[in-house]
Formats: sequence, C-alpha cells, structure tokens
Amino acid sequence: MSTVVSRLAELREDFDRSFADPVRSHDNEHVELLSIRAGGRPYAIRLSQTSGLHPDRPVTPLPGPQPALLGLVGFAGQVVPVYDLAAILGHPVAERPRWLVLAGGSPPLGLAFHELDGHVRVANADIVQEGGDSGAAGSIRGMVALPGGVRPIVDVFATRTTVHALTGHAQDTDEEAAR
Amino acid sequence: MMAGRTFGTKLAAGFGLTLALTLLMSLTSVAALRYVLHTKDAVIESARVNLVGAESLSALMESRIGDYRGYLLTGTDEYLNATNTDRAKFLAQLDSLRGTIENPTSKELLEQISAAEATHAGIVSGLMAQRAKINDLRSVAQLTGSDQVKTARLAVQKAIADLITQVQATVNAKSDDSSTRAMWAMTFIIVIGVFLIACAAGVAWKLSRDLKREVGAAVGHIQSSSAQLEAAAAQQAAGGRDQASAMSEITTTISELLITSRQISESAQRVSKVAEETAEAARTGDATIDQTRASIAAIRTQVDQIVQHMLALGEKSQQIGGVVDLVSELAEQTNILAINATIEASGAGEWGRRFAVVAEEIRKLADRTAASAKEIRALIDDVRGAVNTTVMATEIGAKAVDSGSRQFDDATSSFRRIVGLVSTTSDATREIELSTKQQTTAVEQVNVAASDTARVTRETEASAVQTKQTAAHLTTLSSELLDLVGTGRH
Repeated sequence: MSTVVSRLAELREDFDRSFADPVRSHDNEHVELLSIRAGGRPYAIRLSQTSGLHPDRPVTPLPGPQPALLGLVGFAGQVVPVYDLAAILGHPVAERPRWLVLAGGSPPLGLAFHELDGHVRVANADIVQEGGDSGAAGSIRGMVALPGGVRPIVDVFATRTTVHALTGHAQDTDEEAAR
Repeated sequence: MMAGRTFGTKLAAGFGLTLALTLLMSLTSVAALRYVLHTKDAVIESARVNLVGAESLSALMESRIGDYRGYLLTGTDEYLNATNTDRAKFLAQLDSLRGTIENPTSKELLEQISAAEATHAGIVSGLMAQRAKINDLRSVAQLTGSDQVKTARLAVQKAIADLITQVQATVNAKSDDSSTRAMWAMTFIIVIGVFLIACAAGVAWKLSRDLKREVGAAVGHIQSSSAQLEAAAAQQAAGGRDQASAMSEITTTISELLITSRQISESAQRVSKVAEETAEAARTGDATIDQTRASIAAIRTQVDQIVQHMLALGEKSQQIGGVVDLVSELAEQTNILAINATIEASGAGEWGRRFAVVAEEIRKLADRTAASAKEIRALIDDVRGAVNTTVMATEIGAKAVDSGSRQFDDATSSFRRIVGLVSTTSDATREIELSTKQQTTAVEQVNVAASDTARVTRETEASAVQTKQTAAHLTTLSSELLDLVGTGRH
C-alpha cells in the first residue's frame, strides 16, 4: 500500500514538475520510435516515417495472389491497401494483426502488425545505422538498443519498395526523395 | 400227566396218593379186623354161652340129683325146695340154650335132654311123693322105682354129655372157621400192604426222579446264574471302584469349577460396575454430542455466509476489473491519440515540436495509467484468484463440514447405538452376574450331590462286594444242593 502512495506522490510530483520545467522542444538528437511485434518478433518503426497509428480498423479483404495483402481500409476518403508486416518480413503467422500503421508519403500504404509495445524516444547514438544505403535489400534498416533487447528497425519506405516489388510496380522516385 | 405242575403240587399229589392208599389200607385192615373179631366173638359167644350153658346144665343136674337124694334121705322141705329150685334153674337154662343154640344137631340133643329130663322129673316126683308119705325111712327099699330113676338119670346125664360134646364140636368148628377167615383177612391185608408199598415206592421214585430232574435243572440254573451274578457283582464292584474314582475326580473338578464360577461372578460384578460407569459416561457424551452438533450447524451456517461473501467479493472484483478494463481502454486510446498527436506535431514546425512535448507527457500519463491499470488488473486477478481459491477452499471446507456432519451423525448414531449396546451389555452383565450366582449355588448343590453320589458309589461297591460274596456262597450252596439232590453235577 505504501508503494502505491509513494508512486502516487511521485506521479504528482512529475506532473507538477512538467509544468515547472522550462519549455523544451524535440531536437534532432533524439528519434521517436514505435516498438512493435510482428509475427511474435520485436521490431521498431521510426515514428517520423508514419502518418498515423490505428487499432482495430475494419479491413475489407481483397482477393488476389498476394498473401501479404490483407485488404483495403478507408482513411479520410482514401482507400489504403493494408499489408501484413510479418508476411512482408518473411515470417507470416495465421493470427490476424490488430494494429495498423499508415506509412508516410505516397502512395498510401497500411502496414499491419500484431502488438504495440510502446512509444519510445531514443538518442541517435543508440541507433546502429547500416553503412551505405544503396545496396541494402529488404525492409530492415538498422538496429536499436532498447530496454528488453536490441530491435531491428523496419524502414517504412523500404517496405513500400518491397511491396511494390512484390506487386511488380516500378520503383517510385518519391520514396527516395522523401528519404 | 403231571407235567407243568409245580413240584409242591407233585409232592402234595404223591403224599395225597400215599395217604389215600394208607387210609384204604387202614380201612381195609379195620374191616378185616372187624370181620375176624366178629367171627371170633361168635366162636367165643358160642363157647361161652352154649358150652358153659351145657356144662351148667350138667352141674344143675348134679346139684338137683344131690338135692333130691338129700330129700329122699331126709325128707325135709329144704331139699324139696332146693330140688324144685334146681329144676326151675335147669329149665330156665334149657330155655336159654334153646334161644342161643342154632346148630340143629344140638337143638335135637337139647330136645332129647328136655324129654329125658321130663321123664326123669316125673319119676323123681313120684319118688318124692312116696317119700312124703313115709315118715320114717329105714331102707331104700321102702321106696319104689329106684331103678327107673337111675336109668332116667343116666339118660339125662348122657344126653347132657352128648350136648356138651356136640357144643364143643360146634365151638371147635367155629373156631377153625374163624381162624381160616382171619388167615384170609391177614392175606388180604398183606396183599393190600404190598400193593401200597409198591405204589408208595412208585410215587417216591417218580418224585425222586422229578426232584432230580427239575430241582437239579433249577439248581443248575441257579448255579450258573450265581456264577453270572458273581461275575456281574465283580464287574459292578470294579465299576463301582472306577465310578468312585471318577466321582472323586468329578468332585475335584466341580470344586475347581466352583472356584472358577466365583471368579466369574466377581468378574461379572466388576464388568457390571464398569458397564454402569460406561453408561453414565455415555449419557454425558450424549449431551456433548448435542452441543457439538449445534456447533457444527453454526459452523455450517458461517461457512455458507463466508461463501456468499466471497462470491460477492469475486463479483465486485469482477466489476472492478470491468472498470479497470475501461480505464485500460481509455489509457490505450489516449496513448494512441498521443502517438498520433506526436506524428501530426512532427510535421508542424516549432509549435508542432512543443505540442509534441505535451503529447509525450500525455502519452507518458497514458502509459502510467495503462501500467497502473495493468497492475490493478493483476491485483484484481490476484484477488479473484484468491477469492476463487477461498471459495473453493471454503466449499471444500463446507463439504468437509457436511461430510464431517454426516460422519458426526454416523458417529452420533454409532455412539447412541453404543449407548444402547452399553445399556444392553449392562443388563446382560447383570443377568450374567445373577446367572453366575445361581450357577455357583447350583454347582455347590452339584458338589454336595456328587459327594453323596461318591459315598453311595462306595456303598454300592461295598454292596457289590457283598453281593459277590453272597453269589459265591450261593454257588457253593447250589453245588451242595446238587449233591443233595444227587444229580452229581460238580
């Protein structure tokens, strides 16, 4: 009981201190990350590469040859295709993903994953960036050390490229430009 | 003919027969004697009357002769009277002889005497009439008819002598006849006697033979029976000795039994006391059982209340869980909103960056709320688990209480049955005690009876020995009796 009281006091103290702290802003030394789990494996996604996070969105299935394509979702008047991130990463599971993250940029793309571990803010120094950027294949771009283990970072744009490759579309130049 | 009759009957019949024969012989002898006596009496009577009468005639004749000679000599009346008297006597005697003499020759001689005497009397009376006329007799010659007198007198005397001779002859003849008859009678008696002796000898032989045969057989039977009786008495004596020793053992055993019976009686008394104490303890235990039963019922009620409260607690915690889920949902949505706000803010320049800080704070709060909700959820789960565990434990306890209650009911019924059995046992123990006392008394009586029986057995043994001696004596007596009877069995 005493721990709860102390934690309550700590919370109140933090809350009060948040008003007392000087105004600060997000700087370039830190990166916002979403720690997720897709197909039971931990990953991280750069928050800056996304345009929204949604749980439990109704997905309209779309018949087709791609097992990774879960279906279509409507967002603000747009129809967005949703792909299973675990299937794209090469380890599909039967479980239906609950979470949906909208990829930034265009064309719009939804990536579905199973669990959201949380929203973290890490220093750039904690991210291991892959050397070179031209020859890299797949969707993984770097690793990050977080409490609870090292997670590979899923690059949303690379994932879009992978999706396009799966669907047989030509490489979009916007991705590179956005990057 | 005499088969099947008793020996006494046979003996009586034999003696009766002998007696009858003896009586017959006596009667026959008496009859023969009477016959002989009668004939001898007839001889004697004939001799006494007729012969003496004849002799008396002779004497009276001589006396008359003397008297009338005296008269003739003297002429006195004395002689005359004497002569008349003599003549009267003579005639009377003659008449008497006529009545008694039966022989015809003698009767004829008697008539001759009468005639001769009448002649003689006529002559004598003539003489005496002459003499009465003569006063002085000087010679005989004076009298006439002396010669005739002499002749008449001789004729009378001769006739009397003939009569006497005849009477003597008659008497002799009768005497001979009587002797002959006596001889016949004697011969008859001898024959009868010989016959009687033969009959008596036959009866004696028959009786002796029967005596030998029947009495011998009976005595033989008696002897063998005596031997058997002796053997039986010996066996009885041996049996009596065995029985006496057995009775002694029985008496000893009964004494031990008496001691054991008294011990049983004492044990039964102790058991009865213990049973009464047990019954008292059982009554006390009955009250304790009722109290325990009430306590168990109260426990059951309280357990039910605990279960109800626990179920209510579980329900409340479930409701709390619902609220916590709501809080979690809200925290998650807040978190999502904060994330999306951060995303939106990142593309909104400097103000966006500052908003992103607020959004981060909101997100942190949402994270903490979610963590707290998670903790509450864990705590609620713990509470629910504890409640479930408690409910299960309580239900198990309730079932245990029910089972215990049933077992206690069983134990109670068993206890009550035990109480009843203890009461029954107490009664039975008292009955056993009473029965054992009666048994002790009975065993004492049996002991007395066994002692009496042992004494009687010793007496029986003594009497058996006595019987054996008596039987031996009887055997000896039988042998002697057989010797006496003469069968010669030894």
